[in-house]
Amino acid sequence: MAFAAPQNPSRVHRIPQSKYIDAVRWLSPVSALDRFAAVAYYDTDTNSPSIEIICVDPNPQASSPILTPQSSWTPPSRISSLKTAHSTHQPILAAATFSGSIHILVSDLINGGTVESEATVSELGFHSGPVSAVDLREGGTECVSVGEDGRVNLVSFVGDSSKLSYRRIFDANGLVGYTAVKWASPSEFATGGYGFGLQWWDQRRPGGPVSQFKGNWCQGKTSGIVHSIDIHPSRKHTCLAGGSSGTVFAWDLRAQQQPIVLSGAGTGEAPISLLSESEVWEVQYDCYTRSSNIGDISSTRILPIMICSEDGILAVIEQGEEPLELLAEPCAINSFDIDQQNPSDVICSLEWESIAILTRNRTTNDFGFSIERPSFFWPVYLELLIVQYDYETLQESDNWTSVVTRK
Amino acid sequence: MVLLIRVSGGDLLDGGVHVDDDADLDTRWCCEVGAAVYPFHHGLKSPISRLSISWSRGNSLRVSVFAAPSSVESVEDDAGGTVVEVKLGGGDGEISDAHWRRIAYGSVSPFALLQSRKNAISSLSKMSMNSSPYDADWWDYIMEYSKDINALLGSQKPASVPVIDDPKSVIVKGEEPTNLKAAWELLEMFYAEKPSHLCLPERLVDWLADFDSLFSGTHPTVHSKLVDFQKELVNLQVVEDNPKYWEVMSSALAVGWLDIVVKMLRLHGSYQLDQLSNRETENGLVEAVAVLISKMPRMRLDQEAGKLGECFKAKPDFVKAREKWRAQINKLDSSAFWFQCAHLQTREGLRSMLQIMLGNANSLCSATCHWIELYISHLLYIRPLTVGLESMYSLAQKSIQLKPMASAHRLMGLIIGILGENTEVVLAECLKGFGPWMVVHAIELLTAGSDHAEMLLLEERPNLGGINIEELHRLVYAQVLSSHPLTWQIAPIYLISCMKHGMVLLQILLSKQPVQHNQLLLKSIEICRLYELHSITANIMKIAGVHHWKHGRKGSGVFWLQQARDEYRLNRIAQQLFDSVGKTISDESFKQWEGLIQLLGSDSKTAGGLEFLHKYRDFKKSLQHVFDGKTTDAARRAVESLISLMKNPSTPQRFYLPLLYDSLKLLNWKDRPLLNVSQTNLLLTKLQDLSLARLRPDFIESELPPQALNSVRLALATNLGRAILEE
Repeated sequence: MAFAAPQNPSRVHRIPQSKYIDAVRWLSPVSALDRFAAVAYYDTDTNSPSIEIICVDPNPQASSPILTPQSSWTPPSRISSLKTAHSTHQPILAAATFSGSIHILVSDLINGGTVESEATVSELGFHSGPVSAVDLREGGTECVSVGEDGRVNLVSFVGDSSKLSYRRIFDANGLVGYTAVKWASPSEFATGGYGFGLQWWDQRRPGGPVSQFKGNWCQGKTSGIVHSIDIHPSRKHTCLAGGSSGTVFAWDLRAQQQPIVLSGAGTGEAPISLLSESEVWEVQYDCYTRSSNIGDISSTRILPIMICSEDGILAVIEQGEEPLELLAEPCAINSFDIDQQNPSDVICSLEWESIAILTRNRTTNDFGFSIERPSFFWPVYLELLIVQYDYETLQESDNWTSVVTRK
Repeated sequence: MVLLIRVSGGDLLDGGVHVDDDADLDTRWCCEVGAAVYPFHHGLKSPISRLSISWSRGNSLRVSVFAAPSSVESVEDDAGGTVVEVKLGGGDGEISDAHWRRIAYGSVSPFALLQSRKNAISSLSKMSMNSSPYDADWWDYIMEYSKDINALLGSQKPASVPVIDDPKSVIVKGEEPTNLKAAWELLEMFYAEKPSHLCLPERLVDWLADFDSLFSGTHPTVHSKLVDFQKELVNLQVVEDNPKYWEVMSSALAVGWLDIVVKMLRLHGSYQLDQLSNRETENGLVEAVAVLISKMPRMRLDQEAGKLGECFKAKPDFVKAREKWRAQINKLDSSAFWFQCAHLQTREGLRSMLQIMLGNANSLCSATCHWIELYISHLLYIRPLTVGLESMYSLAQKSIQLKPMASAHRLMGLIIGILGENTEVVLAECLKGFGPWMVVHAIELLTAGSDHAEMLLLEERPNLGGINIEELHRLVYAQVLSSHPLTWQIAPIYLISCMKHGMVLLQILLSKQPVQHNQLLLKSIEICRLYELHSITANIMKIAGVHHWKHGRKGSGVFWLQQARDEYRLNRIAQQLFDSVGKTISDESFKQWEGLIQLLGSDSKTAGGLEFLHKYRDFKKSLQHVFDGKTTDAARRAVESLISLMKNPSTPQRFYLPLLYDSLKLLNWKDRPLLNVSQTNLLLTKLQDLSLARLRPDFIESELPPQALNSVRLALATNLGRAILEE
C-alpha cells in the first residue's frame, strides 16, 4: 500500500449568513432532488432566535451551493440543542431552549418545506434553567431531555395533542448536572456531564442510573465536560463521548471503568496524537469512512468517528490511526451533521456566522483495499464492479494511473 | 454629546431619545443642527415616574422606564416598568452591520499572518544585523496581505458575462462598488505596489473606471452621464444626430474608457449597410478615429484581455510610439476629408475627440465633470509620464483649481492626502470616512515602505499615555470589536499585537465576559489558554463556580471551583453542603449524592473540605452492608471507616454525634467488642470535644432524639469495659 498520501479530496463551500448559527442538521430527504437542512439561528442585533428550514441547492453553475430559506419558526428563546428524527413521512425536530422549554416541530418538505410547532413543553417545573441537551428516539415518539439542574425528563408525544406530557425520570437536585444525552435503545439512553462522567439509564429500572462511568479517570488537571455522546445502532454497548481538552473517549459497558481514549487527554500509556486541545463540541459515528482495517472488525474496535472542535477542526478519527483532518478553520466549528442518506456530505456551522458544506470524495486508499482483497473473500465479479466504479470516480484524481497499473 | 429624553406618558405610549452633538439644550434648535431622534415604544399605560439611561452593549442605550405606582387599582397585567434598548447611529449606509462583521472576521487571518511574519523578519534582522529588513519577500507579504483584505471587500468582476453581446449596452453592470473597496485599492496602489510607480497614472485610470459611479451621488460624473445616455439609447433611431451621443463619447474618451468609446462609435449610422455607400467618407473618418483610439499607446505592465490600447513596459518605447500616434492624429486632423463629410455633428464630434486625444486642456476640462476625472484626463493625454508624488500632487492641485469641489467626498479627501504624502491626513480621512477597521488595517500598508510614516506612527507619545498611534488605533478597534457579542472573540488578536496596554485590556475583556452559559465560558477559558493567562482562567472559573452554586447547580459549581483549585470557596460551600447532607443522605436519596461524590474524586487536594463527603459515603455504604448481612468482616470495615472519619480533621464537629448514633449497632456488637481500647478512647475524646463545642453560641444542634447522646455514651462506656476485659 505504498500510495502517496491522499490529498484532501473534499470540496468545501463556506456560505456566509448574517446571523449566528447555534445548530445545524440535515433533514431526511423526501425526494432525490431536493435537500433540506434545519438551522437554528440567533440574530444578535434584534436578539431574536429562529429555526429555519433551508433548501440546499448544489447549483453546479455557480461556485457555491445556494441556500434558500423555506420557512421559519420563532422559539421563545435561543436554541441550546437541536435534534432530528426520521419519521415515516415527515422529518421531526426536537428543539431545546435556554429558557427551559422543549418544542417538537414538524416540517412538511413536500409542500414548500414549511415548519410548524407540533407541541411544546414549557411548564415551570420542567427544567430550571436551560435544557442542555435533548435527543429524539428514532421513529420520533419520545425524547429525553437533560439539564444542568440535574433533571432527566422523558417527553412522549403520541397523538396530536398540542401539550406534551412529560415524566421526570430522575432529579439530582443540582447535585449532578447533565450536559449531553443520547438514546441507545427504545428503553435505554446515556447521559454525560461534568468531570467526564457518563451515566447509563434504563427505563425498566427506574430510580437512577443503572451504571455510572466514573468521572475523573484522567486524574486531576485535564478533567472536563462531556459535550456530546453518540451510540452506534449496531454497537449499543459502546458509548462514545467528546468533551473538553480535545478529549474523545469511548466507554465499553462490558469493561466497566476503563475508557478507550481516542484523542486528547491520554491515560499516559500510548502517545495519542493530539488533534485538538480545546473543546470537542460534537461527535458522530462516520458511516462514510470505511475502516481501514477490515480484518479486525471485532466488536471491541471503535468504528470511525467524526468530531468538530472549538479550534476549528473537523476530523475523522479511527482507533489506532492518524486522524484525518477535513477542515481547519480559523474559527470554531460549533456543530456538524453527516447526511445519513448521503454520508459523503457534511454540513457544519462556523462561529463566524457561516455555514460550511463539505462534500467528500473517496480517497485512493479505499480503492487500494478493494483490489487487494483475496478473491476467495471477495468475489471477482464484485471486484470488477468496484474497479469500474472507482475508475470513474478516480478519473479526476491525479494518481489514478498508478492505481490502475498496480492491477 | 447631549442627550435629551422626552417621554410622553399616559395615552401616547411612546417616547423619544434625542442625541445631539452640540451642547445646546434647546430642543427645537437641536433638531435643526443634525440631532438624531430615535423614537421608541415603551408600552406603559400608567404615567412615567422615573427614567434611567445607561450604555448597553455596543452602540446602544438602555432606557429603563418606570411607571408611577398606581395605588388605586392595580391591574395585574400592567407592568411596573420596562427596559428598552435604543440603537444609536445607523452605521455606514452602504455596508450593513452583518457585512462589517464578515469583513472583521475575514481580516483576522491576514492580519495575524502579517504580524507573525513581521515578528519573524524583525527577529531575523536582529540576528543577522541586517540593516534593511525590507527585502523582496517583505513586499510579497505586504501584497499578499493587501490582496487578501481586498478580496474580502467584494469582487469587481461582473456576476455573469452575457453570452450574446448586446451592441446597445454600453456599460456592463457588475457588483455595486463600495467606497470602502475604492479606498482600499487606492491605498494598495500607492503603498503596497512599490515597484510599479511608473505605471501609477494608468492604475489610477483603471481605478476611476471601476469606482467613478461612487461619486455620482454627490457630483455629476461621466459614469452617470453614460448611465443616462444608456437609457435614452434604446429609443434613439439616429444616434449621430443627438448631441449627447458625442458629448458622452468625448467624456468617456477623456477619462480613458476606450472600449466604451469604440463600441459607441460603431453605433454610428454610417456603419449601417444601406447607408454605407453614400456615407463612405464619413464612415471612413469614424473608423479612422476608432482605430486611432484602439491603438493608443499606454504605459502599463499588463493589459486585461478585451481592453484597448497598446501596452509598453519601457519608457523609451512608449515615448516613441506616443510620438508616432500623435503624429497620426495630427495628420488626420489636418486632412482634407473633413470637408467631404456632410454630417455636421459627426464632423464636430470627431474633431473634438481628436482634440481630447491631442491633449487640448480646454477640451479635457469641458469633457470631464469633477476634478478627479480632469486629473485622470491630464495624466492620460497631457502628462502620461508623470512620476513621483510631488508632481502628481501639484497636478492634482491644478485640477482642483480648475474644477473646485462643490462638496467634499470621502474618497477625494483620501486621494489628496495620499498625493500630498501627508500620513496624518490619510489616517484622519480613513478614520472619518471608513471607521476604525480601516485605520488599523491601513496602517500596515502605510508603514510598509515609508520610514517617515513608520517614525510618525510608531513613535511613543507621552500625550497618549506612552503608546504610539498604531497601538492607539488597534486599541480603539479592539474596543469596537469587544462591544459586540459576536465579535468580542476576535478582539484578542488585535489586543495581543499592542505592546503596552494590550495584555491588560485583554485580561479585563476576558474577566468581563458572562459566565452563565458553558459555551461562552469555555470560549473565554480557551482564549486564556492560548495566551497563557492562568490567573484569569482561575478567576473566571471561580466566578462561574459561584454563579452555578448560587443558582442551585451544585454539581457544576463544585466542578468549576475544583478546576480553579479554590480550596477556600470549596471549604465554604462544603459547610453549606453539610447542612443538607445531614437531612438528605438517607438511603433513598443516596443516588443523588452518588454523582457529586464521584465528581469529587478521591483526590483530597481538589476536593477541599468536601473530602468528608467521600468518606461519609464509604462509611454509610459499609454500614449498609452490616445491616444487610451482619457479618463481622463487614462490621470491621465499617468500624475502620468510622475511625478514619473521626480522626480526619475535615469532619465537621456537628457530625460527631450523628455518626456515633448511626454506629450504635457497631458499638454494641454482640459477639465481641469491635473497637479496641485506644479506638474507644478516641471516640470518647471526640464526644468530649463535642460537649465543649455545644457551649459555643454558633453550634448547630443535629436533629436526633434527645436520648441519643446518653445512649452513645452508654454504648461507648460498655464497649470500653469489654475491650479492656478482652485485652
